Amino acid sequence: MDVANRTNTAAGGEPKILAFCCNWCTYTGADLAGLNRMKYPANVRVVRVPCSGRVNPQFILRAFARGADGVVVCGCHPGDCHYATGNFFTRRRFMLMRGLLEFNGIDPRRFHARWISGSEAAKFRDFVSEVCAIVKGLGHE
Amino acid sequence: MNNFSQQQQKIRSAASRLLADGTVRFVIGWAPTRFAERTTVLFAHTEAEAQALVWNAHCTAALGKYLLDHRLADYAVGIVARGCESRMINRLLTDHQIWRERVYILGAPCPGMDAERCAGCRERAPVVWDELLWDADGMPETGGRQDAAPTNLDEATIADVGAGLALPAVGAACSRPLDTDTSLRSRFFRAEAVEGLSAAEKFSYWDEVYAKCIRCYACRQACPVCSCRACYVDMDRQGFQGKQHSAADNRVFGVTRAFHVADRCVECGECERVCPMGLPILGQTQKLIKEIEALTGEAYVQGMDAEEENFLGAFDLDDKDDFL
Ligand code: SF4
Ligand code: SF4
Ligand code: SF4
Repeated sequence: MDVANRTNTAAGGEPKILAFCCNWCTYTGADLAGLNRMKYPANVRVVRVPCSGRVNPQFILRAFARGADGVVVCGCHPGDCHYATGNFFTRRRFMLMRGLLEFNGIDPRRFHARWISGSEAAKFRDFVSEVCAIVKGLGHE
Repeated sequence: MNNFSQQQQKIRSAASRLLADGTVRFVIGWAPTRFAERTTVLFAHTEAEAQALVWNAHCTAALGKYLLDHRLADYAVGIVARGCESRMINRLLTDHQIWRERVYILGAPCPGMDAERCAGCRERAPVVWDELLWDADGMPETGGRQDAAPTNLDEATIADVGAGLALPAVGAACSRPLDTDTSLRSRFFRAEAVEGLSAAEKFSYWDEVYAKCIRCYACRQACPVCSCRACYVDMDRQGFQGKQHSAADNRVFGVTRAFHVADRCVECGECERVCPMGLPILGQTQKLIKEIEALTGEAYVQGMDAEEENFLGAFDLDDKDDFL
């Protein structure tokens, strides 16, 4: 990862966290968090995707290469996918991707995935706050 | 006569026969070059050319990917296939890239070649063939090379065949001694070399690797899994792949390439062999296969038959998801 591209948390900068959220669940969950005036760190940038299955592992690589300090992928709970099975494929893909990222020296604590439904606004808030705290603690590479 | 020369004779006569009776339009094999330690790929179209085919420890190029150039062929192609080539062929068949009846496979059980990838190779006998040129019996299924002096490229042969191909004869000064380490390495030797490092060390290891990558895409070009007609790296206007020549962008390419072949890699090692910068990129694909085996708890070897289910193309309701 290009150090020059990274937000320098060590120098007091704020980390950037990219969150890929499924349109049918987590994006709605995040929306609900907003409607309920829940507070969560502004470090999180949400990208809406039609399904967690749309998240190509390359998105994650590119996010890291272009300066993200952490990446989060969220989708519907297994069995709840709007497209029936998309997130089952995602699950395999990300279990594998995590191993490869770790093998490439990217701290696995910078990459998280979670199943969050449309009604779990509090879970979304807690999850992104937790990730934000972890990534802040790691600084940048 | 050592084994290689006898076997070479079998390759030549089988190829001549196939060309003479019109079974195939040409036979893909190897030919000598002006360097004793190197061979090149030969597409033998005539019986005379078939007599120029060679078989020795320097036949390191894997031939399978060349079939892709003839995927729309209305003729049959002959190919000499060792373990790795036969798995490449199965890969192309599984991916519906070639027609089985348009390939005539001359199975050639392999004693192990003078290439690094061969040191970890466990499946040296072909797994698919039309005609087995010699028996796999007595061949080490695992272990070092069978033949301690594995070259039949004596001066006379080189001058002879070299003349036929209008190549200059070779001087002994060009010879490089064979890689003397013939011991069998672990299946995931490249991955294991990196796994023990700390996160920071891993990062700088790959940084060093990808700083040297020149993005020639030879690794993609040689790989039997990379059969897409349009590769994402060539889609200049889409911005999938940064065009900068930087370790960061090269790394995105390297890791993405590995992931694109993750569950279909036949472990032929050709990607690494063709890398002009000599980069140890096999580690990435080996790691992925290792991970798949860890996740499923089962052996995962691709290319053994033409009707396989791929790990990422399927799912199980009970798949592990301990970090989700
Ligand atoms: S990879 Fe295996 S089958 Fe292929 S040339 Fe090397 S030893 Fe022979
Ligand atoms: S063959 Fe080697 S130098 Fe060429 S793109 Fe692949 S890794 Fe980079
Ligand atoms: S990734 Fe390398 S080892 Fe795997 S099939 Fe392709 S060329 Fe062979």
